[in-house]
Amino acid sequence: MIYELIEKLDRRFPFERAKAHCDIPCGIYDPHHAQLAALTVIRMIDLMNELVKEHGQQDMEFHNSMARYIAVKEQHAELCKHEVRIIWGDYIKPEHVQKYPELHELTNKIMKLGSKCRQTTSRETAVELLQAVNRFAEIFWETKGIATKRAKAPYKPEEEVVYPVLS
Amino acid sequence: MIKLVKITGQSLYPVYQEGDFVVVSKIPFLFGSIRPGDVIVFKHPVYGLMIKRVERCVPQTGDVYVVGTHGHSIDSRRFGAIHRDDIVGKVVWHLKKR
Repeated sequence: MIYELIEKLDRRFPFERAKAHCDIPCGIYDPHHAQLAALTVIRMIDLMNELVKEHGQQDMEFHNSMARYIAVKEQHAELCKHEVRIIWGDYIKPEHVQKYPELHELTNKIMKLGSKCRQTTSRETAVELLQAVNRFAEIFWETKGIATKRAKAPYKPEEEVVYPVLS
Repeated sequence: MIKLVKITGQSLYPVYQEGDFVVVSKIPFLFGSIRPGDVIVFKHPVYGLMIKRVERCVPQTGDVYVVGTHGHSIDSRRFGAIHRDDIVGKVVWHLKKR
């Protein structure tokens, strides 16, 4: 109650900040990159499917485009794992795990799904990866006391993404 | 004599966390000197207003060595001692975010 009151005052008339300074990148964590990476994996699989359907012959153009889609899929599946690993390793504290007992299992699930996305071209797996990362993002923002909302990404593949509701 | 400040950063985690508020004052120093373990707010020429825990004091020179509790804390191990004159005050009240 007192905190909320002072926080409101602070928003209107900001108090001075005292830095409990750490080496970079202390305090800068955001699951957005992991979500974007998961979305990219889905998009690459969609593009790969479209290419197979639309490209009659498997000529050099076909192979060139396919190779590029696969490379980006690989890269972003790994990036997704990396971003989640950083938050899990550097930001998540024992009290967060206590409050959200699913956290370790969820992180492990993301690692496994990320690898499966590299190994296969399953769209279902990629969507499952995004859903797991969305849940991770939801927990992350909750630990910061920030509400979230779910909305379709305004670009292809237009899948549902968790966004923080920032004032 | 009394100042309310908000904490940014995690170098004093888990006791002091980003978003917490603290009231700092110089009044306690009227009744006693700075002691190891005190949490103080001070001005640093490069980093600006900082909050750290006092590790040790050198009464002869007025120097104070400060540390954070986080392994990556930027403190006296990086920038050396701070001078007593740069101290804004000691934390006398701590309001946690949650």
